[in-house]
Amino acid sequence: MNFARLGLWLLRRERRSGEWRVLLLALIVGVGSVATTGFLGDRIKRAMNEQGASFLGADLLVTSPRPIETWPAASTKNSTLRTSRALEFASMVSRGDAFQLATLRAVDAAYPLRGSVRIADRPFAAGTPRPAQPPPGAVYVAPDLLPLLSAKVGDRVQIGEAHFSIAGVVAEEPGQLGSVFGLAPRVFLRADEVARTRVLQPGSRVTYLYQFAGTPDRLAAFSAALKPALDSTQRLIGSREGVETLHGAFANADRYIQLTALVSLLLSVAAIAIASHRHALRHYDQAALLRCFGATTAQLRALYAVQLLTLGLLGSLLGVAIGALMQQALALLVLPGAATRLPALGLAPVGVAIVSGLLALAGASLPALMRLIRVPPLRVLRRDLPPLPVAAWVSAAISGSALLFLIAWYAGDARLVGIFVGALAGLVGVLALLARLALAAGRSVQKMSHGPVRFGLAQLLRHRFDSTLQLGAFTLALFLVALLALVRSDLIAGWRQQLPPQAPNYFLVNIAPQQQAAVAGYLAQHRLKSSTLYPMVRGRLVSKNGAPIAATLPPEARDSNTLRRELNLTWTATLPANNAILAGHWHGNHRAAEISVESGMAERLHLAVGDRLGFQIGDQTLAARITSLRSVKWDSMQPNFFVIFAPGQLDALPTSSIASVYVPPGATGVLPGFVKAFPGITILALDKLIANIQAVFDQIIGAIQLLLGFLLAAGMAVVIATLLASLDARQQEAVLLRTLGAQRAYLAKSLWSEFLALGLLAGLLASACAEIAMALIAERLFDLPLRLHPWLWLALPLAGALLVGMSGWLTARHITRVPPMESIRALN
Amino acid sequence: MTPPDSAQFPDPAVLARALSQRVPTADGELDILSEVELAVKAGETLAITGASGSGKSTLLGLLAGLDHPSAGEIVLLGQRLDELDEDARARLRAGRIGFVFQSFQLLPALTALENILLPLELAGRPDARERAAHWLARVGLAARAAHTPRQLSGGEQQRIAIARAFATDPEIVFADEPTGNLDAETGARIIELLFELNASAHTTLILVTHDDALAGRCQRRLHLIAGRVA
Repeated sequence: MNFARLGLWLLRRERRSGEWRVLLLALIVGVGSVATTGFLGDRIKRAMNEQGASFLGADLLVTSPRPIETWPAASTKNSTLRTSRALEFASMVSRGDAFQLATLRAVDAAYPLRGSVRIADRPFAAGTPRPAQPPPGAVYVAPDLLPLLSAKVGDRVQIGEAHFSIAGVVAEEPGQLGSVFGLAPRVFLRADEVARTRVLQPGSRVTYLYQFAGTPDRLAAFSAALKPALDSTQRLIGSREGVETLHGAFANADRYIQLTALVSLLLSVAAIAIASHRHALRHYDQAALLRCFGATTAQLRALYAVQLLTLGLLGSLLGVAIGALMQQALALLVLPGAATRLPALGLAPVGVAIVSGLLALAGASLPALMRLIRVPPLRVLRRDLPPLPVAAWVSAAISGSALLFLIAWYAGDARLVGIFVGALAGLVGVLALLARLALAAGRSVQKMSHGPVRFGLAQLLRHRFDSTLQLGAFTLALFLVALLALVRSDLIAGWRQQLPPQAPNYFLVNIAPQQQAAVAGYLAQHRLKSSTLYPMVRGRLVSKNGAPIAATLPPEARDSNTLRRELNLTWTATLPANNAILAGHWHGNHRAAEISVESGMAERLHLAVGDRLGFQIGDQTLAARITSLRSVKWDSMQPNFFVIFAPGQLDALPTSSIASVYVPPGATGVLPGFVKAFPGITILALDKLIANIQAVFDQIIGAIQLLLGFLLAAGMAVVIATLLASLDARQQEAVLLRTLGAQRAYLAKSLWSEFLALGLLAGLLASACAEIAMALIAERLFDLPLRLHPWLWLALPLAGALLVGMSGWLTARHITRVPPMESIRALN
Repeated sequence: MTPPDSAQFPDPAVLARALSQRVPTADGELDILSEVELAVKAGETLAITGASGSGKSTLLGLLAGLDHPSAGEIVLLGQRLDELDEDARARLRAGRIGFVFQSFQLLPALTALENILLPLELAGRPDARERAAHWLARVGLAARAAHTPRQLSGGEQQRIAIARAFATDPEIVFADEPTGNLDAETGARIIELLFELNASAHTTLILVTHDDALAGRCQRRLHLIAGRVA
């Protein structure tokens, strides 16, 4: 029999041994969390993209002012991409004497490729999903067009030279997040009927919309091939850009999910390291015996390596299976739609999870294994002989490089790796110190106690090194679980704050100055809550410090979309909620030519506080100096602006205003009346969008809860591994005590007091660490406000005492029951 | 495989010249063994006796190649041990040396049969399982094949250990206080078994004991006093 087979044989025989079980459990938990993250992350990304695609109407959208005749070779004909073409242009729509400028979208039968269009038979009704292409000779119109033309469904309207009947009202359409401001009401007509209107003449301003949908890899190949072929007037928009407003939340969720998985994995590594150390300790005799029987170092290495590899593969596969099951269950519970639409689980997360598991196992157990195979054969005669020491740097190099590799792999950026490794090293040092101090403080408590409690505490203090290790491990587990639980609840609270139950769900656009009071009165009369009214002027950014803006930018930045379109400029003396000043100072009521610029725009266009920007507004030019840079929460569902002027600069220009308003679901009946009363004001419905965003948040929250479960399991694995590691020593002491006449109750009380004290102390230390760490990372990593958590100081020590007390008792209780003789035999 | 004929092996089976073992202690160096000279012929039985701490087990460990001497030379089965590294010494032991220990040293996860099987599997014997069953029967424990060490008495565990030592047809069996953990009656039965198997297998037997009865069964006795041959 070769030694690999012998290893497997011995492994099979030892499958009941505790340390294998803990090691396997730790591995399953670690790999499970990585696999779940991989699967879920993949699925959530797809779910997000799907939401984005339904906002966009496609997975990819290309807009162009001219028809695109030639597409890249990897294009649509020989690929599986589905396509749709549409034209968008402005034209007057008339009925009798009433005229209104409308945005016409001429669509083919395939439009939209993603999401849906709902058509209703009256304004602001829910409608039913239907193809966006109306029947021949008919159009679908936006609800706000009807009062402007004094029309109703069934009436006939004229576009150019052609007549159409209004076949329905558009209740919902993709692309509502696009250019929302200054839109003329939408009209859908058939692409094959555009010619009949004779509206489009050479030189007419038309936007050609090319939509694509297909598998992610096909889309990626297609867009990669297409990008170089597009000029600066053409735009390629991916589905993620459809959900730009959600990017902050998605990025946070993504970061959090990755971090949780990494921490679960590292906790598992700790549990594996402790379990393998105990395994090695308990197998020194076996290794010595095998050496006596003639096993060489290489043979022992093969034997134990095969055992580890088998366990590694078994644990990894089980972890992957559990991860797959978990995420499938979660997908069915939380993402029911996505679960049926999304493709099967990819192989990539499986590979990542298995490699992570094997790396974790290698890093955590190789040092113990190396000691095991260096056991001197003489140990069979002298059992006190330790294995030959392994150079500390060898162990550190093995474990360190495996862990570094894992962390680097997950974090994916050197700075984050540095922070994580530094924090981890610092944490271990601080924990060791704190544990020592806490144990020293425990001495005075011990002196005041009696009987078994005194003995239990004395045990803790006597084995100071072991107790420090145990305390450190428990604290680490409690701390990390608590920290991520705290971040989780703060993250979720943050999301809920952004989208409170009464978040604005309608935007009112194009409110003329003379209408403002009447609009406010109408809303108040119907008890509708609206945001501040923001005046709005549309203008184009043209210069920086006197030079044309494009000339001040490096070539790659000149293509910015911000330069190609008109910006919505506003003015206010009050910094809007959800905005924060990052540089400079807010202009307030200082009536000077000063502006505040959104930080992202400033970064893209290389702008800084002090720069003087020139704007073209109609036929006028206007210059103003940047006095502050702002962060803006784009996902706040409030009117947000790239550029905010100080009061008094834009007042003289023709303006309209914008406001957001919350209309409760039962109150949408007031909207037709509003449209009738204010025919020039455009209403943008965001309620569907908000429901979609909330659905995405729910999915992410579900995923995070599940990962927290894994984290807890990993924490438990550390606690159990640590307890098992100290079991032999406890058993020896228990045997001695029982032989000397200690009763079971005495032993039980002594064990309980030891475990409870350990858990309590660990909980206290973990509270301190969690509070400090929260303060450090909440603001930097997740952009969350600083908060104290007083309840933590009660909850964690209690949880620690309960957790360590219960698991300790469950792990060690048998040593109070087994007759001393049997224990002695087992120890021999 | 038939039991080896001792005549075909180099004589002596074990040879020690000027063997010394010295270990560092807090109070300076301590001589555990000094200038031990020894030759054990193939098929011979030798008892190493002496008081606790006289260096008996240390000598046994050195002779079996489990440790290096501080000085001196050992020839085991015709091989100079100082010329071999740890792994080469392990290869020399494989299948050719058997051990019986005071604390039995059975693997707790393995059954009685499997414990005997282990060195046979390590030595790559094709008929390992039959051989293990045969040896289990030889020591009278066929009925306990599936029992783990924890389910066996001390005497039964030592019988398994003896079967394990002889199962590979070794040329030498080293035994360290084989009756040290047993009561007198069980110890006597174990001695009987050990010598009976040794006689039928023509094995060289080197045992450490402070049990006079056991030492008296050996052809020769080497008495150590404070690390020196008396």
